[in-house]
Amino acid sequence: MRAYPSHRAVVGFAFSGYVALTVLIAVLPAASVQHTRGIQGAPARSALAEEGRAIYLREGCGYCHTQFVRDLPLDRPYGRATVAADYANEAPPLPGTERTGPDLSNVAARQPSDTWHLLHLYNPRAVVPQSVMPGFPWYFEQKAAAAPGDVVVPVPPRFVAQGHVIVARQEARALVAYLLSLRQPEVPK
Amino acid sequence: MLQRRSQDPTLRASSASDSPTVRVTFEYLVCATVWLLVGTAAGLLAALKLNWPDAFTVRWLSFGRVRPIHTNTVFWGWSSMALVGLALYVVARTSRAPLWSPTLSRLALVLWNAAVVAGLLTLSAGVTRGPQEYREWIWPVALLFAAGLVLNGVTAYMTAATRRIPEFYISNWYILGAFCFLATILATAYIPLYQRGLGNVVVQGYFMHTGVGMWFTMLALGIAYYEIPRVLGRPIYSYALGVLGFWTNILFYTLIGAHHFIFSPVPWWLQTAAILFSVGMMVPVWAGGGNLLLTFRDTSGVLQRSYSAPFLLAGIVAYVLVSTQGTLEAFRSTNIYWHFTNVTVGHAHLAMYGFIAFVIWGATYGLVPRLTGSEPDPVLVGIHFWLALVGYGIYVVSISIAGILQGFAWVAGESFIRSVEAAEPMWLWRTAGGVLMVTSHAVFAVNVWAMRPGRALVDASAAPAVEVSP
Repeated sequence: MRAYPSHRAVVGFAFSGYVALTVLIAVLPAASVQHTRGIQGAPARSALAEEGRAIYLREGCGYCHTQFVRDLPLDRPYGRATVAADYANEAPPLPGTERTGPDLSNVAARQPSDTWHLLHLYNPRAVVPQSVMPGFPWYFEQKAAAAPGDVVVPVPPRFVAQGHVIVARQEARALVAYLLSLRQPEVPK
Repeated sequence: MLQRRSQDPTLRASSASDSPTVRVTFEYLVCATVWLLVGTAAGLLAALKLNWPDAFTVRWLSFGRVRPIHTNTVFWGWSSMALVGLALYVVARTSRAPLWSPTLSRLALVLWNAAVVAGLLTLSAGVTRGPQEYREWIWPVALLFAAGLVLNGVTAYMTAATRRIPEFYISNWYILGAFCFLATILATAYIPLYQRGLGNVVVQGYFMHTGVGMWFTMLALGIAYYEIPRVLGRPIYSYALGVLGFWTNILFYTLIGAHHFIFSPVPWWLQTAAILFSVGMMVPVWAGGGNLLLTFRDTSGVLQRSYSAPFLLAGIVAYVLVSTQGTLEAFRSTNIYWHFTNVTVGHAHLAMYGFIAFVIWGATYGLVPRLTGSEPDPVLVGIHFWLALVGYGIYVVSISIAGILQGFAWVAGESFIRSVEAAEPMWLWRTAGGVLMVTSHAVFAVNVWAMRPGRALVDASAAPAVEVSP
């Protein structure tokens, strides 16, 4: 006759052991790094760029675009290696796990043109024919004529009905403001 | 052979199972099947969008919204409901006791369905916690799910606690453990106190890793430890290996989440520990997987006759493969070539589909006809098996090649768009595989309906309380 361990012993030990391991490997390390300060002198994001970041989250851009540069030769094109301070004021930080599109940590330095970004957001294939990124036409408006103060996007003719112009809505301008805020500040030595 | 079994005149709803438990299990499986259809339709749409990015340009069907809908629906809708539906039966059966409270489990199912529906609506509306994989649901939605989890955990625990035999069978270790682990994991993921800045990244690594390993894997193994010996008609190869696998799984699996953020600012010791324990994972994987595979030895006869055993065997083979691949992916050297590429997507599907979904299907086909007295058409089960197996084979191979090509393009320092061009033909293959997979799910849905509780069960439930022999 073999002795069977009781359900209390097995479940109790597994549960408490698991909680202990979780505290050890997730909660304590997280707590120990969460107060890393941001980089001194890095410019704060504008209110418009903050609005753009919310749209960036809403549209799931982070599923295909990382903001996580590794200290590896193949990551050189994206900027310097990401440091803890880069994530300090990000809620949530967006390191990402996949690069179906390129890393955006420093995209403003690589591509500083707001017109390019507006075109690219309206339909990526207007600027990169091989791109598989979704367009976001709902953040633009097709009009017969631009009103004063409108941001007109110079969309190639095949992407717009004849005799019309494409105008960026507030959301598109906010998203571009966010993308243009993605410029890695220098890390003080 | 298959035909002969389907005409087996002796098949009846097993008198050993009480009908409320059977009904709860079946209700979970029906809901899970609906979410399988919805979730994989979303997955197929996401795949199509990489082939034809201008198709379905609708705000709430944009790639960035469809992707989390796909992952969350198949995780929390399909896999969780199906596994728990089966697990509740396994706990009751191996305890020789009726389910402690079918009412609580039904309530939990309502809560879970509410969570999945709310998750669908919020995610498609763009209401999300951002791309923090598998914890995108805003907290009220997650709370609905957590409440259901607690109800089911209590029900499962109390069922085992009121068991009528002395043995606390190994399946119950895994299943009751899974409820404790996911409760811990969800709480850790949603409590914000330690998640500012980089703290969030540390928790994200832990969450996305253990969410899969300590919930889906544990439930699937628990079910496998019951169903594989039952289908094969022989005891498990080694009970001791099952126990070893259980404890080492808890120890090693929990500690390796940081391997998703190698070369990141996450503390270096944490990354190194994660890599070390990823190698340690070979112990539970080969102890557990080898144990289950050895149980299959010399059973080719059963494999030919049974339509559930091939699913179970394919599932356990995928478990061993995917876990071994996981260890290889964790090294810093391989990370350079594979991280951020589609290899990750192939890995995820090998795990959640090749392993988890196949174990669910094997257990469903093995158990449910016995419980309800209604069998599906064996030819349709065969069609389901081959469509799913060939479909996901094409999927995993093509998407992994896509990932390897991406990695090579990056390491060669080519312009980024070259990696997109290199992957594109493989993405087309991936979609083709996906079409087969989704088709197989429609066949599965037909089969589930064919297995619905029949007259035999109605009669049984009309009878007085079921006699359960110890």
